[in-house]
Parts: sequence; C-alpha cells; structure tokens
Amino acid sequence: MSTENTLPAKPAPSLGNMKKVVSAIAIDTFFWSYALLVSHKILYEKVIMNVRYPEFSWNQPLSALGIGFAVSLLLFFTSVSLGRAFQGLYEFDENESKLNKPFALWGYFIIFITFIAGLHMSQVSMREFLSDSGLEGARRIFTALFNPNWNILEDALFAAIETIYMAFIATAFAIPVAFVMGFFAARNLMSSNRIMFSLYSLTRFVLNMSRSIEPLVWAIIFSVWVGIGPFSGMLALCLHSVASLAKLYSEQIESIGEGPIEAMTATGAHPIQVIWYGVVPQIVLPYLSYTIYRWDINVRMATVIGLVGGGGIGTMLMQYQGLAKWNEVGMLVIVIAAIVWFMDWASSKIREAIK
Amino acid sequence: MIQVQNLVKTYPNGTQALKGVSFDVKKGEFLVIIGLSGSGKSTLLRCMNRLHDSTSGKIEFENLEMTTLKGKTLRQARSRIGMIFQHFNLVPRKTVMTNVLTGTLARTGVLASIMGWYSEEDKKKALEYIKIVGLSGKENVRADNLSGGQQQRVAIARALMQNPKVLLADEPVASLDPATSHSVMQYLKKVNEELGVTVICNLHFLSLVRQYASRVIALKGGKMIYEGKPLDINEEWFQTIYGEDAVEVTIN
Repeated sequence: MSTENTLPAKPAPSLGNMKKVVSAIAIDTFFWSYALLVSHKILYEKVIMNVRYPEFSWNQPLSALGIGFAVSLLLFFTSVSLGRAFQGLYEFDENESKLNKPFALWGYFIIFITFIAGLHMSQVSMREFLSDSGLEGARRIFTALFNPNWNILEDALFAAIETIYMAFIATAFAIPVAFVMGFFAARNLMSSNRIMFSLYSLTRFVLNMSRSIEPLVWAIIFSVWVGIGPFSGMLALCLHSVASLAKLYSEQIESIGEGPIEAMTATGAHPIQVIWYGVVPQIVLPYLSYTIYRWDINVRMATVIGLVGGGGIGTMLMQYQGLAKWNEVGMLVIVIAAIVWFMDWASSKIREAIK
Repeated sequence: MIQVQNLVKTYPNGTQALKGVSFDVKKGEFLVIIGLSGSGKSTLLRCMNRLHDSTSGKIEFENLEMTTLKGKTLRQARSRIGMIFQHFNLVPRKTVMTNVLTGTLARTGVLASIMGWYSEEDKKKALEYIKIVGLSGKENVRADNLSGGQQQRVAIARALMQNPKVLLADEPVASLDPATSHSVMQYLKKVNEELGVTVICNLHFLSLVRQYASRVIALKGGKMIYEGKPLDINEEWFQTIYGEDAVEVTIN
C-alpha cells in the first residue's frame, strides 16, 4: 500500500457526524477481526500447517475482535479505513477513480482471503471430481437416466397432472388475498395518514416474513399438519404465492401514473371509486401477466415441493430415487422437463398475447 | 363566487409555492393565470379543489369554506368544480363513454359505479356532451387511442358531466400543437359562454391569453403581481412577469 497516496483527511469529526464515525469504526473493526480470524484459522492452521483438527476456543474470535478494534482505532486516521470510505468520510476528487485508493487495496485483500477460505470450506477437490470410482458411478447413473423405464409413463403423467392442478389451485387461492394485500402494501396509497402507514408497515412485515421462509419449509410444516400429499404442497405454494404476488402487485401499484388518481379525486369520487377507476385499469394487465408467470413458477416449484412430501410428481421422484431405481428416475426427469418446458412456453405465449 | 384570501402553501420539503395570494373570481368570467413554471399556478388551482391542502388562508366557494371541508361534503363540493389537466389524465384502457361517465362518480353509488350501472339520464347526458366536444361516433373507442386534442376534449366532457359551476384548467394546451391548442381553447370558451361555466385557466402563451381571457392575474414566486385586462399587459409588465430577458413567443 502506498503511503504517498494519502487522502486529505476531513477536519476533526464534529458531533454531527459522530454517528458516521462510530459506524465507520464498527465496520473497520469487523473487517480487521474477520481478516485476522480467517488468516489464522484457515490460511495458517489449515492451508499452511495442515492441522487436521484445529483447536477452537471462544478466546480466538474474542481476541481477534479486540485486536481488530485496536487496529481500526489506529488506522481510522489513515487512508486505509474502509469504514470511512463506506460512510463517505473521505473527500474525493469527482474525476478520480476510487478503485486504486489504499482502502480499496485492503478491500481486495479481504475478498482474496475470503476466496481462499471459501475454496477450503466447500472442500473443492479435483481429485474427488476425477476419481475412478466417482466417474464410474456417474457413468452408471447417466446410462440409466438415458434409458428411461417407459412402463411407468402412465403413472408419471398422472402425477404430473396432479402437480399442474395443485399449482393452479395454489395460484387461484393466492390471487384474491394477494390482490387485497397488494393495496395495503403500496406505499403511495397508504402514506396519507399515520394509521394507514402503520397498516402498510404491518402488511409489509407479514409479507416479508412469510416470503423469507422457503416454500420447502412450509411444505414440511403442512405435511405434518394436514398429512403428506398434494394438499400440503398446495398450501405451501399458496402461502408463498400470496407473499410474492402481493409484493409484485404492490410494486406495480407504486409505479402507476398519478394523473388518473388526481383526475378521479377531482371529480369528487369516493376513495374506493378512485381506486377502481384511477388505479385498477392501470394494473390489470401487469397483474394478469404476473399471475400467469406465478402459476408457471408454482408448477416448477411443485415438483421440488413433492420431494418433501408435497404430492405430485416430486413425491414419486423421491420414492424412486430412495430405491435407487435410476431408470424410473430417468423417466420422471423427462416428464418434469417436458412440463416445465411446456409451462414456460405456454405462459410466455399467453403473457405476450395479453400485452 | 370564489374568494381566495391570503392563501399560503408550503410543501413538506420547505418549498413555499404560494406566499399569500388573494383574489376574487366572478361568476361567468374566463380568468387566466399566467406566470413562469414554478410560480405557483398549478399549486393554486390544486388548492382550490383541495387536491393539495393549503397551509393557511381561506378559499370560499359558493359560501362554503373549502379549506375545512371533510369527507362527503368535500367530495360534494369537489363535484361542482370540474378540472382538466395538462396530460389529460384519462382512465387508460377505458372507452370514451366510460371516461365521460366517470364525471358522475360523486353522485353514483360506490357499488353501482364499480358494476358500471349508470343512470339512463347520465348516459344520455354523456352522449350529449360527447357531441358538444365534437367526438360523436367515438363513444366506444378506447380513450388512449385518441390524439392529444381529442383526449383533452374527452376530459372537458368528463368535467362537464359533473355539472360544474367552475372549471379549473391546469395548462390545458401545454402538451398540444398550436392548431389543436386553439381548438381546445375554443371549446373552453364555448363552455364558458354557452353553458355559463366560470373558467379558471393556467396558460403559458400570451397570445392565447389575449384572445380568450376576460381577466388575467399573474403570479411570480408565489405572489400575485398583476391583475387586470389581458390587453393591458404591455412590454413592461411582460418583462416583470417573465423576467428581463424574456421574449414573447406567439402561437397562431
């Protein structure tokens, strides 16, 4: 790191940007402790010393934190502080590139050690990838997959139909709920007063919560609740669809033109009439398009959800895979690929047609 | 019929759009408001029908104090004030007929308007107004497929459906070409003279002002700096209103 390249430090931090200074030091502390810990635990112990079972004690991260804090306090006043850069506490010449500043070099170093640690953690190994027994296993499974057992085609098709209908019902049930929630989650309609705004925040919170739990997890919960089968898969998909459709709907509402709303308000219309004439005509088509797309996604997801007991072709796939019947699995993979391709094609055609 | 007294509007970001504007509007006049962009013209119109809430001051309309109205009484008052906009603000993807009928929303029930049940009387009136603005035969055309001038005429018909006592026009011709501008202005004049609707209109072009206005007020930086007859605006006034370097552009 070159030291000639020092950046002009801003005048002594005032109380006004105290918050920024504190966050900057916190960011620096995090990066320094992270770098210390990773270099010691992975680069030194694992890669260089090749210790098989390195000892771990909570003193290590704590002392890394302590040293990191001390180092960042010291270096805060130089030009290698990433925290200061993030918080905008350096003065820059507009035309100058920030990518070769000292703090940027320090940032590259952190990315570099993360990369090395990542390789190690994921146990990336060329030897495993190209080992004889491994390649033999791969050859066996691929041969079986390419020789599908056509005798189960009928069963597979029935399961596929179950999956498609399950996804359809999940989407259909999600639409009305998402439609109503979409309005409550649209900032431009809900920021008129405090009650509306708290309703908006609550809706957003509920949506984010239910969306952040994967449908796979919902399927496991519902398969205990209502039993293994398409119903639990449908419920899981439905819940996830409500959350993601409501978000898409509300974003669509947030991006509409204000003009018609203003015009309808000016005619003396009731707020519900304003929404019906000022908002709805602007969102119908995007809504339809999103909904069809959602159905398409749900069909694809339904096959995955079947793996954890959500019924349909996914459950069938799981059963044959558990018995290591690769020829049957090969058949199912072909059927799944065909459905996914068909749904993808159909949904894009429909969405094009209604534009 | 409208008295505006000491109207002040400060936006939440601190911009003072109106700094105490007072004027009267008489029944049946064609009042034009001129001024640079950002002088507060649009804000003034939007405060009059409460699309924006003023910070202080009074607006009296037909013996009603507009600034304190709420809920149904506010909507009833709004319905007697028609408004047309620079960008027409029609409901997209709907027919001309539906758009014109939205002018009756204040007197149509919520459910009825959602189901599209408008009274026969209103439908007849809508056809009549579509004819008045010269769009007969276009009732079932989608409004967004019309040209700009035609869309503005639909907007006029929609405003007329409200049976307005006043028509607010916020730069009604600013996004139209000169020929269409004149045609739209002529329809506004017709509404003013034949139907007796008071018109308050924001305009940019002085040539249009001279031709159509019965009275002019000028705003500058949120204050009213001129009030008088359109033909009394001389070179000196022009430069006070629009700035020293301004040169008049005419449209014919």
